[in-house]
Amino acid sequence: MGSPMAEASTTQRSRGMRDLLPDEMDRMRTVEDAFAAACRGWGYREVRTPVIEPLHLFTSAGTLSPQTLDRVYSFLDWDGWSGERVVLRPDSTIPAARLYAERLDGGRVAKLFYNQNIFHFTDDGSSREEWQCGVELIGDTGAAGDVELVLLALETLKPLRLSDITVRLSHAGIVRSVLAAAGLAPNEQSSAYNRLLDGDMTVVDEVEARLPQLNAPLRLLFEVEGKGSAYIANLRGPLTAAMPALAPALDELAFVVAALEARGVTPAVQAVLARRFEYYSGMVMKIEAGGGRVIAGGRYDDLIGLVGGKRVPASGFATYLAPLLDLLPPPTRNAAERRIVLQPEGESAALLASMYETAERLRSAGLCVESVEGMDSVPTHRLICREGSPAFTLVWPDSQEHFERIDDVARVLEPER
Amino acid sequence: MIRIALPTGDLRKDTAALLDAAGIGIDDYTTGSRALRFPMLDGAGVARVFRERDIPVQVALGNYDAGICSLSWIEELTQRYPGHEVVRVRNLGYGGHGLWLASAGDEADASLRIVSEYSQIAETVARRLRLRRYRVFPVWGAAEAYPPEDADVALIAAADAAAVEAHGLRPLARVLETSAWLIVNRQSLATKDLAPLLSRLLATGGAASAAPAISVPATLGLRESRPRPERTRLRLALPDGHAQSHTIASLQAAGLRVPGYDEGTVVRRPRIEVDGVDVKVIRPQDMPQQVAIGQFDLAVTGRDWLFDHLVQFPSSPVEEIIDLRRSIYGLAAIVKDVQADTVGGALKEWRARSDAPIRVASEYPNIADHFARERHFGRYSVIPIAGASEGFVPDDAEILIEGIDTGSSVRANKLTVLERFYESTNCVIANKQRPEGALRPVFDALVERLRSGAAAPVAAGGGA
Repeated sequence: MGSPMAEASTTQRSRGMRDLLPDEMDRMRTVEDAFAAACRGWGYREVRTPVIEPLHLFTSAGTLSPQTLDRVYSFLDWDGWSGERVVLRPDSTIPAARLYAERLDGGRVAKLFYNQNIFHFTDDGSSREEWQCGVELIGDTGAAGDVELVLLALETLKPLRLSDITVRLSHAGIVRSVLAAAGLAPNEQSSAYNRLLDGDMTVVDEVEARLPQLNAPLRLLFEVEGKGSAYIANLRGPLTAAMPALAPALDELAFVVAALEARGVTPAVQAVLARRFEYYSGMVMKIEAGGGRVIAGGRYDDLIGLVGGKRVPASGFATYLAPLLDLLPPPTRNAAERRIVLQPEGESAALLASMYETAERLRSAGLCVESVEGMDSVPTHRLICREGSPAFTLVWPDSQEHFERIDDVARVLEPER
Repeated sequence: MIRIALPTGDLRKDTAALLDAAGIGIDDYTTGSRALRFPMLDGAGVARVFRERDIPVQVALGNYDAGICSLSWIEELTQRYPGHEVVRVRNLGYGGHGLWLASAGDEADASLRIVSEYSQIAETVARRLRLRRYRVFPVWGAAEAYPPEDADVALIAAADAAAVEAHGLRPLARVLETSAWLIVNRQSLATKDLAPLLSRLLATGGAASAAPAISVPATLGLRESRPRPERTRLRLALPDGHAQSHTIASLQAAGLRVPGYDEGTVVRRPRIEVDGVDVKVIRPQDMPQQVAIGQFDLAVTGRDWLFDHLVQFPSSPVEEIIDLRRSIYGLAAIVKDVQADTVGGALKEWRARSDAPIRVASEYPNIADHFARERHFGRYSVIPIAGASEGFVPDDAEILIEGIDTGSSVRANKLTVLERFYESTNCVIANKQRPEGALRPVFDALVERLRSGAAAPVAAGGGA
């Protein structure tokens, strides 16, 4: 047992996995509750998909990018003698598309939201388990659906009172039509797209060399981050003359941007936004807060067909909980809330039973009542319970008072209505 | 102490010559001694002989500072564990060959069936091909015999395209160019003086070069096959290797003649003198899965391999239908230099020494895992091995799960059997869903003959 690799580690936690402590869970619930409330307010209903899915859902071209696929947790299940592997869910949109194709496709629009974890291998110390709240809008909603998603995404963040929120939009058709206009074969397009997704801007020079008819540099598109409708209008003239196929993508994006501007949201506009996902087919969005990505999503009209359903247009977004938790302030207690710890004076079973009855009575009055004081207990009052007289003594920092009846204690403690 | 893992098998002769040229020749290694461990560097080092595929694992674990093996086995480890601790130092320039994708025709199942000893590389190739659906069958050997009936594509080692064609296959693409490489453990390189070994090996010449990467074609160019017609002939799998002599005896006892299925020769598709039956010779380890997926109706394998399959896939539809009562041996938990005489006692002894994972080495990784779980090992790791197993304890593993027969090898290596927990014989296995229609009477007749042969007295020496 002397090998360097076999030394005992100092923690029992599996590498890349994160514990969530009570304060973190409080913040997580704050985000989840805000998210769920906003989604329900817009008529969306919650679903949950299995942690284990068949690997083949994720391997087709047009689903996960090769880089992501190389990092999934796949294995043979206990009944995997056929050789087909399963995977720990590496993404939530593809399972949602599978769920829709298998269970919900009735020709009507499905409005779904979820709160679940995804898994992907990392070796840089970051978490291998990621929690996401997400929305999928499946059905023929057109560009109005894209506008709805951006506005809903912003509304889910509103209760969190974040500052410095930026909305960035793009359209997957922009890159695809440029690469097609450059005469790249489908497999070359895929490789160039992946390089662009990986931030390799030398692709732009290579593509430009294949487009001598361009009368404006492609760097207008790939190196500039524009603002709102004005930027799209600036691009349309010079670029669509040489690449007419670019026009529909710019038109769709312009529609969404104009609608958002009318609602007081001016998004930044970029040519490439989606990273490591091949399934986007239309508008793509990213929302940042505090300088980091907290929401990402877009339109994926081909995905449901790829996972075995009919071709149904769809779009969605996911909220990344880990960066959001870091942006939220530590949870604070409501100063007006009364938190009572009960203390029995004596050890009889009858006294203990009466103490729990007391706790139940006080909780029914809307009070937080602890019968065992925990590590995080910060009581405003202590209530001593005894079998003799007086039956109760209520103690708070600067005073104490005796009572015979629990209803009288409750009247003193009851929150003002 | 500098520790190096050296290959047995095809690379041994050239590796011995390299060590001689480097002035660290190990006489017993050069002469092909059956010993597994040799002192070297005037006592400052030790060399241990492994099957090639075990060498990158041993170097990655840090059990050995350096190793020599084919790049293909290093890649196989890399595709499964990209963050491993193996540094590729130099191409040693011998043992060159390619890993080839090959098919028997131009059609393939909608869920492409890929068979290979290099299953992790095969997974990577399948992912990069963006196959909509695929299955990889990891096999212990004979991958070239699987297409077209039992796989669409085989990923096999071959010197060149002509060598692929010599198997009756069509080369589709060479995905890796491989040869012998010198590798070292990253931690050892960073913290330990390996100069007495490395400087001599690197002084033998040869150019520094980057290791070739896996290269995947844009497409395999295979058409999706139409649904296959129902089989009209029964399929029987017979084993190659050590199990062959016992199987020949079992077939003879049943009065079944299979010309071409002889010891010393490997004919993958011998003819059995029974109407309506086709035979294929593959590794016994790979048979339970092939029977489970319905590729074969019957197979002669070892009960140990069926057990290994069933602990991995408890609801698999494979079952033993005839005990052929030959090739008798037990599976045992084996240790060395341990005071205790029970597994529980040994656990206490190891735990008192360290909290590190208990290393369980075995050619039966699923049985080893099952054994460790059932005996409450706590923190443990299973090290799958390909052979040369008796040299693993106590240096490279705490415990070995291994097949033993008369115990002569155990005694010769001064090993201790703590527990013999499973008895294995050769047996006939079948899918619980029996063949139907015209195949059924052929199946029943063949089973009856094998069963009557199994009931006949087994001559002395029928065991292993």
